Amino acid sequence: MPIMEAQKYVWEGAIPLQIHLHESEVTTFPPPPPALILAPRIGYLPLLIALIKPYFSSALPPGVDTLWFDYKGLPLKWYTPTGVLFDLLCAEPERPWNLTVHFRGYPANILIPCEGEDAVKWSFINSLKEAAYIINGNCKNIMNMSQSDQVELWCSVMNGNVEAYQRVSSKLKLGTVEDEYFVKPQQGTCETDTIGQVKTGRIPIRLYVCSVSEDFDDLEDVPKVDSWDKISFINRPVEIHKEEGKYLTLHDAIEALLPEYFSEKSLIESPSQEGEDKNNISPEDAGDSKAEEVVNVCNDLEASCTSNAEIKLIRIQGIEPKLKIPFSWVVNNLMNPDYFLHICLYVKVANLNTT
Amino acid sequence: MSQEEIAREAIKHALKALRRRHLVEEGAHGPALIALSTPIISQGSEWKEKAENLETELQQCYKAQSRLSEQLVVEVAESRASKASLKENESQIASLQEELTQSRDECSQLKADLEEKIKALELIVSENHQIRAQLEEMIAKAKNAEAENKMLIDRWMLQKMQDAERLNEANALYEHLIDQLKASGLEKLARQQVDGVVRRSEEGAEFFMDSIVPTSYKHKINAHEGGCASILFEYNSGKLISGGQDRSIKLWDTNSGTLSSTLYGCLGSVLDLSITHDNRSVIAASSSNNLYVWDVQSGRVRHTLTGHTDKVCAVDVSKVSSRHVVSAAYDRTIKVWDLQKGYCTNTIIFHSNCNSLAFSTDGQTIFSGHVDGNLRLWDIQTGKLLSEVAAHSLAAVTSISVSRSGNIVLTSGRDNMHNLFDIRSLEVCGTLRASGNRVASNWSRSCISPDENYVAAGSADGSMYVWSISKADIVSTLKEHTGSVLCCSWSGLGKPLASADKNGVVCIWA
Repeated sequence: MPIMEAQKYVWEGAIPLQIHLHESEVTTFPPPPPALILAPRIGYLPLLIALIKPYFSSALPPGVDTLWFDYKGLPLKWYTPTGVLFDLLCAEPERPWNLTVHFRGYPANILIPCEGEDAVKWSFINSLKEAAYIINGNCKNIMNMSQSDQVELWCSVMNGNVEAYQRVSSKLKLGTVEDEYFVKPQQGTCETDTIGQVKTGRIPIRLYVCSVSEDFDDLEDVPKVDSWDKISFINRPVEIHKEEGKYLTLHDAIEALLPEYFSEKSLIESPSQEGEDKNNISPEDAGDSKAEEVVNVCNDLEASCTSNAEIKLIRIQGIEPKLKIPFSWVVNNLMNPDYFLHICLYVKVANLNTT
Repeated sequence: MSQEEIAREAIKHALKALRRRHLVEEGAHGPALIALSTPIISQGSEWKEKAENLETELQQCYKAQSRLSEQLVVEVAESRASKASLKENESQIASLQEELTQSRDECSQLKADLEEKIKALELIVSENHQIRAQLEEMIAKAKNAEAENKMLIDRWMLQKMQDAERLNEANALYEHLIDQLKASGLEKLARQQVDGVVRRSEEGAEFFMDSIVPTSYKHKINAHEGGCASILFEYNSGKLISGGQDRSIKLWDTNSGTLSSTLYGCLGSVLDLSITHDNRSVIAASSSNNLYVWDVQSGRVRHTLTGHTDKVCAVDVSKVSSRHVVSAAYDRTIKVWDLQKGYCTNTIIFHSNCNSLAFSTDGQTIFSGHVDGNLRLWDIQTGKLLSEVAAHSLAAVTSISVSRSGNIVLTSGRDNMHNLFDIRSLEVCGTLRASGNRVASNWSRSCISPDENYVAAGSADGSMYVWSISKADIVSTLKEHTGSVLCCSWSGLGKPLASADKNGVVCIWA
């Protein structure tokens, strides 16, 4: 399959980070200057240790290194892709993103332990198996992957090599939905190609819902997230049915995932409600706080908000697509290498539920 | 708008948003960061390279420095060594110079000496020449003088010889006259003898007197009780000395047959007697292991010779010096005594007991007769055995007598034979025996007549036998004794002959 322009952008995406060594760990005078690095959006924070360590190794106190990051005091979960974290925690994108790195004092009560690159790799493979299960009903294709394929897959993800990734992932046969409408990059003409036998499939989705108590007009005014309790994490697939004459929009998909944030009307409209599955929360959260993202639709919001919830913002891969955008295009172009689509939502909720 | 258009519109919008995002995020920051890091990286790598180069240079410099310092050490050591050797050489030079100056001085000194010596030598040479010339003159003179001397001596000798001849002639005449006188004297003597009167007017007359063969006894004396073992005549006199079992020594006058004196002091029976040549001392061998020396005049014991550990059975005194006494005892020793010192000067030990002893006439040799039948000669000075002769085979020698001239030795043995030995050759020159003659005891003494013509010996049957040596036959048998005859003695005057027997009776035969 030729690599789409959008996929290229997604894979090449990187966030500029300005990483400060926490003051408690500075042992030299003057303190080391912050490190400026580009972190791939589809990558993970622990993989940056090779880039960060040389900056700070001379200033560290003696001891064993346990790497962890925090943003404005909030320790960052390491199994979440970097781009997702950025989109979630910085309502107003902060470029460069100022993070604080710690090499000591791992907060074991908040973060699960990370031993190094291998932990990240296994977490990625785990997500891949989850996605395969959701798509195919079993994860045989992942488990039967050869050692060299696995290594190549992971290396391609680490290095951001989309061609290598395509080679390996095409063997996995995890294709879900064809693009109903796609723009051919060379020609630039909008030609619809409605051939596509879309099978009835399930799309793996991870939703991150940041609930805010007050209304805000400007993104700058969003209060900062100081605890993971404020974020709901929803791991639900979306069922797709092909319907003639109609395509599934993003709006429909979100509605299907989070019906409570939409009114009765909108519930009836979206047909994808029927096959809604509420999946159990991923065990990664250890059953603590659910991340419920309330998507605040800025424009084209047809359904009126109920008194309780209002979706303020939907962010996928750092962009805020229109609600009318075909969901199939979103899935095929904006999904992460682990075959999951990570969506960040900002939701205004009058009463915050912390369960 | 159709759904399609709305969809496409939305997709385009999404793409635009992606592009914008790209520009803002990695598009903007990526190049900036790269630009920031490259110089640092490159600089860093540059500096690393520089540092490495500098390090290698430094290492090389260190190596070079160490090499140089090693060299330096070596050089310093060498320079020190050469300095030291230089000093040595300098000091050597100094010393050599000194030596040289010294030698020069010595040399000049020696030269001066040499010149002096040469001068002296020249002088001396010239003197020598002169002296030689003088010497030659003198030699010539001396020769002349010698020649004259010889001539004079010859003449003098001639004179002397003539004188001597004259003297000889005179002496010869004188001797002739003396001889004639002697002869006439002897004639006179011979005439006197016919008269029956012997006058001893000449010394040594006894040497010319014949020994008379006795025929009958003149006296019979009971001399000692218990037996008389030894009798002896004084030299050249008629006095008889006898020693007996009764521990006394009696002197008899044989002419009258009376007792002259008695010598006491002996503690045991007298086994043998001897008298010094000057007739002044009598020595007796006693069975009490001692010897006693009396002074005849005073009758007192002058010496008691102790040392033997058994009975002393033979004794003799030297005829030359009255000093040496030799005694033999049954302790298998022969002792030589010095009367002046008063003790034993030599002890000869021999395995066979000696029964009889006799001194030779020169007093240097002792004759001993032993129980094993041998006659032995000893040297008195060294005590060494000179020679031995088997005198009597398997029979003890009982008596040894030396003749007056000292040429013949008479030995008697238990084999009832009496042998005559020539002293010089130690060969038997005669053997005498008789059918009835039995030697009485181990110490029976026989004797030779003074003129060496006769031998007398006693027998166990109480008779005395007299043999003639020349005839080798008995010439007389004298029977008087009742007991066995133990000893006999012939007076130096030729007569009488005395004998003693076991009963202590002494018979004097004439």
